[in-house]
Amino acid sequence: MSKVLYVFQSGRLKRKDNSLILITKEGENKSIPVATVSDINIFGEIVINKRLLEFLTKNEICLHFFNRKGWYVGSYYPRRSLNSGLITLKQAEAYLDNKKRVYLAKKFIEGAYRNILKNLEYHYRQTGNEEIGNSIKNINQSFSKVFETNDIPTLMSIEGDIRKEYYSTFGLFLKQEGFEIERREKRPPSNPMNALISFGNSLLYASVLSEIYRTYLDPRIGYLHQTNQRSFSLNLDIAEVFKPVIVDRTIFQIINRKEININDFHEIGDGVFMKESGNKKFIQRYEEKMQSVIKHKKLGNVSYRRLIRLECYKLYKFFTEDEEYNPFVVEW
Amino acid sequence: MDIRFLAYIQWDYNCLYIKIEMEVNGTLIWYYTICKREAWLIGHRIVPDQKDNRIMIGRHIHKYFFSREKAKEVLIDNTIKVDLVKGRCLIVEIKKSSKFIDSTRWQLLFYLYYLKHKKGVVMEGEISIPDEKKRVLVRLSEESEKEIERMIGEIEELLKQEKPPKPEWIKYCKVCGYKEMCWV
Repeated sequence: MSKVLYVFQSGRLKRKDNSLILITKEGENKSIPVATVSDINIFGEIVINKRLLEFLTKNEICLHFFNRKGWYVGSYYPRRSLNSGLITLKQAEAYLDNKKRVYLAKKFIEGAYRNILKNLEYHYRQTGNEEIGNSIKNINQSFSKVFETNDIPTLMSIEGDIRKEYYSTFGLFLKQEGFEIERREKRPPSNPMNALISFGNSLLYASVLSEIYRTYLDPRIGYLHQTNQRSFSLNLDIAEVFKPVIVDRTIFQIINRKEININDFHEIGDGVFMKESGNKKFIQRYEEKMQSVIKHKKLGNVSYRRLIRLECYKLYKFFTEDEEYNPFVVEW
Repeated sequence: MDIRFLAYIQWDYNCLYIKIEMEVNGTLIWYYTICKREAWLIGHRIVPDQKDNRIMIGRHIHKYFFSREKAKEVLIDNTIKVDLVKGRCLIVEIKKSSKFIDSTRWQLLFYLYYLKHKKGVVMEGEISIPDEKKRVLVRLSEESEKEIERMIGEIEELLKQEKPPKPEWIKYCKVCGYKEMCWV
C-alpha cells in the first residue's frame, strides 16, 4: 500500500539508485523506498533537481508544493502515461455541449448539497438545536433553485449560498470556543476556522488532482468551475462532492476532540494561518480519514481515497457510455 | 522461411509507417474469448488499473521471464507478438497458469492463421506453462480456421461500436483490473 509523503523538513530531496533520499539541513539521511510513495506534498524548503523529476516521472508520482502559510503553490504533474483520445474528446465534447455541461455542474452541486445535509442532520440529531433545523430548511430552499436555472454563474452562486448557510452553523455544534465563523473568507482567512477550512480544501484539491492523474481524464476541463481561468479545474469540481465528507468531518473531529486549539494558529500579515504544529496534526487525521475504508455494494472495502478514483471512473462512464452520473453520497 | 527473418524485414517497414488504426491482434482474441467488454476497452486503448496487484505481478513475471530465460519476443507486422520461436516451425506462447488455457489456444491459433495466410508459413504452436510443467501442442484445422475467421469478423464489428457492451458479471470479474470501471 503506497502512501502520501509529507515533507516538512528543509533540505534536499534526491534520487539515489532506485530510491528516494531526503538529506535534511541537520545532515540526517532518510531513505524512502519509491514503491511506498504515491504522491509527495512539500511544505518545507526543499532543493530538487531534474534527475529527481525524471525519476518521479518514471514512477508516476505527483509533487505538490505548499508555501509557509499552507497555501497550495503548484504541482509537478509528470508526463501522462495514460492517454486516450476517445475519452479526452468526449470530455471536451461534454463541456462544449451546454446541456451536458449544465447537467454535470448540477450533479456536482447535488453531491455537495447531499453530503452537507448529511453532516447537518447528524449534528441536528445530536444537539437538537433548532437553529440547525432552520439552516437545513434554508439550504433545502437554496438547492431547489438549482432546477430553475441553466446558467453556470447562477449555479455557482447557489452553491455559494448553500455553503454560506452551512458554515454559519459551525459555531452551534463545535465543542471548543474560538472556532465560530460568520463568513467564509479566503484571501486571507481572518480567523482560525477559515484558516483550517482553507488548508483542508487545498489538501483535498491536491489529492483529487493526484487521483485524476492516474485516470484518462484531463484535469484542465472542468464543468462547474470555469475552464481556462486556472490551470486545473476538474479537481475543484470533484472535490466539491468530497469536501463535506472528508475535510469538514476531519475538522469537526479534530476540534471536538480538542486535538487542535487556538494556539496552533498565528497571524502572518493581515491573515490567520495554521502553525506547522497545527498542519501536522490536521494532516495526520486527514490521512487517517483518507485511508479508512467503507463498504461498497459491489466492490467490497473501498478507502475514501479510492472513492475519489471511482468518481473519475463514473465520469468515464458518463462520457463514453452516456450513463447517468450520480455523485457519491455518504449513507450515514 | 525463418520467422525471425520475417520479423527483421518487417521491423524496418514498421518504423517508417506506424500503423495508427487498430487491427485485430492475438491479445484481443484472448480478451474476446473471455469478456467482450474487456476487448472493446482494450481495443480503444483504455487499459485496466495499472496499479492493480495482479497486473503488477503479471508484469513482473513477464519481465523476469524475458530477462532471465532464453525466451525472446518477436513482433511481426506490429500485429502479433510471439513469445518464443523454437526451431523453424514451432511458436510458443508462455502463460502463468492454465486457467485461461482455452483462450490461449485461440490466441495461438490466430497466430498460426495469420502466419499461414499473410506470410505463407505453416507452423505449429505450443502453449507452455512453466509453473505447471505443462506443454500443449496446437495445430490449425479447417474448423478452427473457420472459427478464427468468424472471430476476427466479430471483433471488427465490436470495435466499430461507439459504446462498449454493458458489463455482465462473470466469475473473472472478481479478479479483473477493470472491475472498478465496470461496476462502480
